Parts: sequence; C-alpha cells; structure tokens
Amino acid sequence: MDRLIFTAASGMTAAMNRQRVIASNMSNSQTTGFRAETLQSTPMTLDGPQLEVRAMNQTQVKGADMKAGTIIQTGNGLDVALQGDTMLAVQTADGNEGYTRRGDLAISATGLLQNGDGLPVLGQGGPITVPVGAKITLSEDGSVMASDPSKPSEPPTEVDRLKLVNYAGTRIEKDLTGIFRVPNGGILPVDDTAKVAVGALEGSNVKPTEVMVEMVEAQRSFDMRTKLIATARELDEGGARLMQISPS
Amino acid sequence: MPTSALHVARTGLDAQDQRMRVIANNLANVSTTGFKRDRANFATLAYQDTRIAGQQSSGETTYANGLNLGTGVSVQSTTRIDTAGTMETTGNALDVGLDGGGFFQIQMPGGQLGYTRAGNFSRSPEGNLVTSQGYQVMPAIQLPANTTQITIGDDGTVSASVAGGESQQVGQIQVASFANPGGLQAGSDNFLYETAASGPAQLGIAGEDGRGHIKQGMLEGSNVSIVEELVDMIECQRAYEINSKMISSVDEMLKNANQTL
Repeated sequence: MDRLIFTAASGMTAAMNRQRVIASNMSNSQTTGFRAETLQSTPMTLDGPQLEVRAMNQTQVKGADMKAGTIIQTGNGLDVALQGDTMLAVQTADGNEGYTRRGDLAISATGLLQNGDGLPVLGQGGPITVPVGAKITLSEDGSVMASDPSKPSEPPTEVDRLKLVNYAGTRIEKDLTGIFRVPNGGILPVDDTAKVAVGALEGSNVKPTEVMVEMVEAQRSFDMRTKLIATARELDEGGARLMQISPS
Repeated sequence: MPTSALHVARTGLDAQDQRMRVIANNLANVSTTGFKRDRANFATLAYQDTRIAGQQSSGETTYANGLNLGTGVSVQSTTRIDTAGTMETTGNALDVGLDGGGFFQIQMPGGQLGYTRAGNFSRSPEGNLVTSQGYQVMPAIQLPANTTQITIGDDGTVSASVAGGESQQVGQIQVASFANPGGLQAGSDNFLYETAASGPAQLGIAGEDGRGHIKQGMLEGSNVSIVEELVDMIECQRAYEINSKMISSVDEMLKNANQTL
C-alpha cells in the first residue's frame, strides 16, 4: 500500500478541522466583539536520508484575526465599543486577568460591573463595584461615573476607570472560554490614551462572504484529497493485477 | 474523522433561531404602549483543547501554538433597551405618558407590585385610577363619583372638578425608579417586576431625582423601530442561511468521502 494515502488522510483531517474552525467563526458572526480564529496548515516532513516528497499536513489555530469589527450604535449607556488596539481587562473564572473586546456592560445584583460574559470588569485597582442605587454613566476615556439619583444637582463622582490595555506588540492567545490572555501569565500595559465609544458595540469581525469562500475552499480541498486516496487505490489495484499470475 | 463541524454549525442555527424569536417579539409589540425592545446577546461556547500550546512536540521542542477548536455559539441573554418610545397625543384625560425615566407602580392581584410605562389608565366602578386590566395605581387615587374634569399635572398631581364645584386635588401619581432598570423581570401585560438585580423601587415625585415628567393626554408608544428590526431580521436570516450552507457543505464532504473511498 502506498504511503500516499496517509499523506492524503492527514490532509482530509486538516480540511475537516479547517471546516470546523470556519463553522465556529461563522456561527459567531453575531457575537459582540468576537475575533475570528485563523488556522494554519504546515507541512510536516520527516528528516532522514529518504527523498522528501511526502509531507504530512498538520494544522493549528494560529491565533485570532485582530481586524476591527463593525461598530453598531445601540443607544445603551452601558455599552462600550473598544477602538484601536485596545482591550478591556476582565477577571476570568480562575481569578486571573483576561482581555476581551466585548463591551456590553451591566451591573450585577451586588453592584459589580460585569461584561456580557458575566466576567467582572477590572478598574485601576481590581474589579469595579458601583454604589447601590447610583446612576452609572461611562465616559469616552473609560471613566465610570456615578451620580446619586436623589441629588441631581450634584456632579457625578468618578468611581473608577475601566482598565483599558494595549495589545500592540504583545502576543495574546484565546483561552478555552474565548478570553484573550498573555501566554505564561503576563499582563498587558495600561493604555492611558485609549478611547471607547459609549452607546455602541463592536460586532464580530467575521465577514460572511469571506467565510463562505473559505468554506467552499475547505470543502474542495477535502474532496481533492479523497480523490487522491481513490487514485492511490486504483494504482494499488493496478499493481496487484500486474503481479497476478495469469490463469490462462 | 471529526465531524463536529456539523454540530458547530447547528449551534449557529439554534442561536439565530432564538434571535429571530426575539426580533419577532419586538415586531409583534410594535404598537404595544410602553413596550421596550429586547436585544439578543450572543456568546461563544467553550473551546475544545485538541492540542495545548507549550506541549512537547518532540524530546526537545514544544508546540508554539495550540489547536483550540471552537464549539459554536449560543444566545446567552437578552437586554431590554430602555430608550424612550414616541409620545403620542391621545387627548384622553386619563392617559399619561412618562417623559424621562421611571415607572408607574401598580398593585397586582396577589399583593405583588408591578411596574409599567404604559399609562393608559381608566376609572374603576369604585372610582379608583386603574390600569386597563383593572389593577390599581399605587399609591391609590380615588376620583369623586360625579367628576366632570380631571387634570393631571407635570408632577403627577391629580385634580378633579365635580359638577358645579371647585377643582380639588385628589391625589398624586408617583414614579418609581430603580438602580438598575435592566434587571427588572418582564411579565405579561406590560408589567415588570422587581428583582435582586434591579434593586428596590424608589418611589418619588415625577420630575425629581432623574424621574420623568408626567404628560397628561399622551401615551408612550413602543420604542421598536420597524426599520431597525427589519434590518436585524435580514441580518439574522442571512446568518442562518450561511450556517445552513455550512451544514450542507460538510454533508457533501462526508458524502464524497463515503462514495469515493
């Protein structure tokens, strides 16, 4: 049996994985602040004296496509769209710092400011807690302002400021919950000049037309590899026929 | 051979289907007095760690990248968008609109308090100011039996004049506000209910402490914008379509493999 089929089969697995990544991106085309994943296929060759004609295919999720998504005006005062290479720092389930572009903020029952994923949003000194009963407004530089509804004449006081970080030049990866982290537990530097758009949300950066093309491409490359295996079978059968001792 | 691309695409179909339901509910309530539109919030489902970055790839080397495959999407929550609806003049003396934040407090059957923006009130046979369901406005306002004219001021003061008599103040409609109105639980008949997330109701005078003014003879319509919903609907439909295309694409791949091999 020709080893060609193993090469082709690794390619089929890769194409199926690719299709799965595309499906995941596609299904998240409406997820606030979602960043499309990018898959990378690399040829894997075995070093040795043999001729390097066959390379197995290996795929890996290389990272995320960091292009900005479309900004959609929502008119909701607790929605923020992050701009530029900025991310919002949140506290992940394991207590560490994670980063997200998802800015649909809400106030929990205990006054904790959290994003749409239910993760506490970090301020300059840890999770932000707002006074109970206060009216919360956000400003362009990420300041969280609270005003007492019973004293409308008093100016709002700053509770904290959203921890806006800059990821330019730093390697960040998505974890298993889709939150970005710095590999090996680092933290990103605070960006004092970062601006957010209040009353707007950043949509997913998945482009429907792009994913459709990728999908067709993945399907065709899968089909081509099945064809390769079929061809390998024909070759094999042909070889076996030649070897047969003719009964006549 | 992992076939879960099919399942990943299915989660997309489910989520779009749920979003369409939210849009359908918004559109269905386009003429509901005081209705606030809902928005569906999507969230990614957990990732599957097929290969962890940093794992040994050989005796001396480690993988630079992992293979984290997403498992799809789900509709995680809905957010009520509390923007103001359009004010419409009805001319009816017992119709009141709230221009600004806050809610009317209503005594529900069973003792619970309900909150609503729908101010299409009427007079019960006993003379009380009630909602169209017959539930009493709290604090209660009693209108004299032979009232000929009712005036409701900006601050909610209700004055009634009886035939041949002077106009006299009979009560005041108060406005409830909440720390987090988004946390109110929606119920049927335009009513919202207090939850731990919304915080307790703070009852006060209309027009004070950030509460809205009361406008007599007006009703607040729904804040659903048909154009916006239609655009959302098309977006949702297209997303559904491309997800279903993915299902047929993966199906073709598997069919091809089955037939060719």
